Amino acid sequence: MATKIISGDFGVENLFEIRTYLQRGGYEAVKKALPRMKPAEILEEVKKANLRGRGGAGFPAGVKWGFVPQNVPRPKYLCVNADEGEPGTFKDRYIMSHHPHLLIEGIILASYAVGIHTAFIYIRGEYEAVARRLEGAVQEAQREGYLGKNILGTGFDLEVIVHRGAGAYICGEETALLESLEGKRGHPRLKPPFPASIGLFGCPTVINNVETLSNVPFIVLHGAESFLKQGLPKDGGTRIFSVSGMVKKPGIYELPLGTKLVTLIYEFAGGMMDGKKLKAVIPGGMSAPILRADEIDLPLDFDSLVEAGSMLGSAAVIVIDEETSMLEVLKTMARFYFHESCGQCTPCRVGTSWIYKIVTRMVAGEGRKEDLDTIIDLASNIMGKTLCPMGDAAAMPILSLCRKFREELAKNLAP
Amino acid sequence: MSPAYSPGLLRKIDELIGRYPKKEAALLPVLRLVQDEVGCIGPEEEKFVAGLLDLKPMRVREVATFYTMILTRPQGRYHIQVCHNLSCTLLGATTVLDYLKDRLGIGVGETTPDGKFTLSTVECLGACEMAPCLMVNSDYHGRVDRQRIDEILAGLK
Amino acid sequence: MKVKIIIDGKTVEAAEGSTILQASEKAGLAIPHLCYHPAFAPEGSCRMCLVEIEGLPKLELACSTLVREGLKIQTKSPRVVEARKAVLEFLLAEHPLDCPICDKAGECKLQDYFEEYGLFESRFREIKEKREKKFRLGKRLILDRERCILCTRCVRYLGEVTRTGEAGVVHRGIRSEIGLFESELIDHLYSGNLTELCPVGAITDTDFRFKTRVWFLEKKASLCTLCGRGCNIFIEFHPGFPRTKLPRRVYRIRARENPMVNRFWICDFGRYGYAYLDENRQDRLVQKKGNRKTTLTKEKAVGFLTEKINGMKLMGRLPWLAVVLHSGLSNEEIFLARKLFLDGLGLEKVFLSDPPPGKGDDFLLTSERTPNKRGWQEIGIPSVPPELLSLAESTHLLIIFGHHFASNFNPAELRNVLNRIPMKILLSSHRSPLDDLMDIIIPTPVIAEKSGTLTNSDGIVQPFEPALQRLEEAVPEGDFILDLARELKVDRAFFWPLRSTEAVYRALADEIPFFK
Repeated sequence: MATKIISGDFGVENLFEIRTYLQRGGYEAVKKALPRMKPAEILEEVKKANLRGRGGAGFPAGVKWGFVPQNVPRPKYLCVNADEGEPGTFKDRYIMSHHPHLLIEGIILASYAVGIHTAFIYIRGEYEAVARRLEGAVQEAQREGYLGKNILGTGFDLEVIVHRGAGAYICGEETALLESLEGKRGHPRLKPPFPASIGLFGCPTVINNVETLSNVPFIVLHGAESFLKQGLPKDGGTRIFSVSGMVKKPGIYELPLGTKLVTLIYEFAGGMMDGKKLKAVIPGGMSAPILRADEIDLPLDFDSLVEAGSMLGSAAVIVIDEETSMLEVLKTMARFYFHESCGQCTPCRVGTSWIYKIVTRMVAGEGRKEDLDTIIDLASNIMGKTLCPMGDAAAMPILSLCRKFREELAKNLAP
Repeated sequence: MSPAYSPGLLRKIDELIGRYPKKEAALLPVLRLVQDEVGCIGPEEEKFVAGLLDLKPMRVREVATFYTMILTRPQGRYHIQVCHNLSCTLLGATTVLDYLKDRLGIGVGETTPDGKFTLSTVECLGACEMAPCLMVNSDYHGRVDRQRIDEILAGLK
Repeated sequence: MKVKIIIDGKTVEAAEGSTILQASEKAGLAIPHLCYHPAFAPEGSCRMCLVEIEGLPKLELACSTLVREGLKIQTKSPRVVEARKAVLEFLLAEHPLDCPICDKAGECKLQDYFEEYGLFESRFREIKEKREKKFRLGKRLILDRERCILCTRCVRYLGEVTRTGEAGVVHRGIRSEIGLFESELIDHLYSGNLTELCPVGAITDTDFRFKTRVWFLEKKASLCTLCGRGCNIFIEFHPGFPRTKLPRRVYRIRARENPMVNRFWICDFGRYGYAYLDENRQDRLVQKKGNRKTTLTKEKAVGFLTEKINGMKLMGRLPWLAVVLHSGLSNEEIFLARKLFLDGLGLEKVFLSDPPPGKGDDFLLTSERTPNKRGWQEIGIPSVPPELLSLAESTHLLIIFGHHFASNFNPAELRNVLNRIPMKILLSSHRSPLDDLMDIIIPTPVIAEKSGTLTNSDGIVQPFEPALQRLEEAVPEGDFILDLARELKVDRAFFWPLRSTEAVYRALADEIPFFK
């Protein structure tokens, strides 16, 4: 039976209160690490554990931490990416509502490893109730001496600030998050320089996803080997899959990396709702290229999905049934990226709007013969040419939808 | 100077600004605080916040118009935001929206004449397991059907 | 430190720390770009400058990628060609078809790039975004939001250069547009630079709007003479059509780049204050006797003066000769004036009459409002303002250079004083109230019509060549002084060999080390 690293205790009543958390063995990793381990040791352990980012990009967390220069006169910052805007994703909401102290513990360990004394949790503005719960947990942790000055008498200081966003998907992109946190429009920055050298307020900054950090206490307590055993040699640990759509049991499912998509849908999520047949699955959040019904027999890990022409992304699985019109799906996708484009760079700003205009016409019954080809061409013109990855995030799913479901979509065009 | 703002708000803003290494970083949270009290962010509010943070009012306007949740026009007392992204659409968001339009007698982006309800559509709220989902001010409601909608509306005084 | 990079197979030396775009521009290889401007840090948002770099999977931006030893760049590969077309197509998709009515036509980057890298059929068959086309951006600026390509140069200029921050980007996505806060228009002395900065016809200035087409204009380099900064400019003008007798007309002034003086900018005084080049000019060399005006030639005028001065010399009355100069003259002219009037004739009554100073700022505008005050100081003529009463008492012959003299005095006083002086000669470029009081008026060209050098307030000596053609009747002050000196046979060793402006400058540099 695989270990549920993060969600195992989700059912425990009042887990979000520090009293309960401590009873369940909470803050043991901090108590082990801060007095007795060196920051470099923790960093090494996280590197060995192959903990890849669970926000969408999948970049190894330990490597990212290692990029931060140690001997700089400027303060270093940690930004927790709790913006969770990728459609279909809600796992971070669960972690922060049910298990905020686990996240805080992960924050403490990460900050200690890199030499950070101020951490911001950038939480999306819509998660108001969750933000309040987080703030409550931060206050409790402070009261009990796990945050603030001289934590556990070890001389390590750490302040955690909960910062609310205000409705912009693009602020989930790490440099746009930094811009937003600095009080500006969420316009992504050019890279290089990377946030590890020039980030928040020009200082070295680490940005990690909520789930990523929530895995760190386990790694510190049980070691990299244990973590790797939970998943695959190259992808350590578990993933929390957000399953939604036409399944019987939508919700979060924490499973080892490498679990098959078919298994997730049919064994864990209860299979299709009564009378529904599976038509397509989005495996990693809306920005992940869509899979047809005959493509879902594959393992859910970073590499396998890339091989299949898609991506693990935020591990959000959306299940679509035969009765759903793919034109409706296309419309939802096109509208989402048009609405969320920050507008900074030409291809995304104009491209997402142009595509949405064409799709709107198709929905209104005024599709023209060349529309699908135009959409495919426009999406290809956005790919690889934008300032930030959102251009690709917009182009790839639209491309895969238009290509894999061309026949159905073409029915909406003039002959 | 803004006599319209409560001392409680000004205190909260002060405390908020104090948390950040640079004042400007507090802009977005401060705007939301002011909006919670005043209802929306107009030129007066932009000037006020600009003064608090030593920014030019234009900088505040740039930010205020960028974020969906910063409202630059007056809204009803209850802002009903219906998610129309993928999972919610799959599970019937269109029906939810149509029913609300019917019950409230307004279209998307409009406010009821008595100023009680504003109806909007929003993108993914991150609650797809309870699709179809909507948000009333900052409260989430999931698995909404006609009955739930009736209950929710009834509870909003 | 220099590194070697290879652009399209050609090896180019580039300074370490520079970008691919900067290196190729230096090497004469153009890479299209819209949002990049050398005055600001790279923005990277237009995506026009994407190039292919060997070893990298994605196309990279030339404007922000730093050079490295051995970097191999392709600017014409199929991928780059395709990318440029894609970006152009996106830009033009939401761009209005305004070329026939847009002032920027002929100098518009979008037009230029489409001609060079585009030339495809439009396939945008949707409804374009409709936006405000006549948004009042500044006192003299109009913003057409449909034409705007959101390069944000204007926002960055107002944020980083003038630090006034009036403009910003509002809304999001395709709805993004440039905006102001309420009706706080851009209303400072450096607003005009925005029309040059905008790569397309989104920002136009009311001064030039709808007046002419840029391809009708000739463009010549010159220096602004309205203050002591000496900003480098281009004067753009119709030379006067050959078939019609329309006079020459200056249509606008543009900034000319000079990293040491004005960088990329000029102020609005200089930009919009060009009317003086065409208007109200002296156009006749005349001698007035009572109500009669007789046209003279330059030779006659010089001859007449020579006679008068020689006469005064004989009678020991040279001290009764007064000369009023101004520091809008070139270094060469001031030097010649010193050599003739002070050194040669030994006159004491040599005065400086300039327009009154104004308020300077800490950017370009100096408080002195003449272009060569520093030159005057370095050449060493004492700066004595003319004193009316003393002038009235002991002057027989007054030679006035420039018409600023009149603006410093009360007209009644002036008339009084000047009427007591038997002979008055005026050399000026413009008509003024002084004219009625003068006996001989000699029209002169303005700096834009001459050649020479000026010294700006920081001590930088800048040469200038004629940009506009002078009137036939106009006599450059330098020529006049030289002719007079030769006729008077003063200091022949010095004056006789001077046959060109360059020769005068060489003599100046020989005598005064500052000008070396």
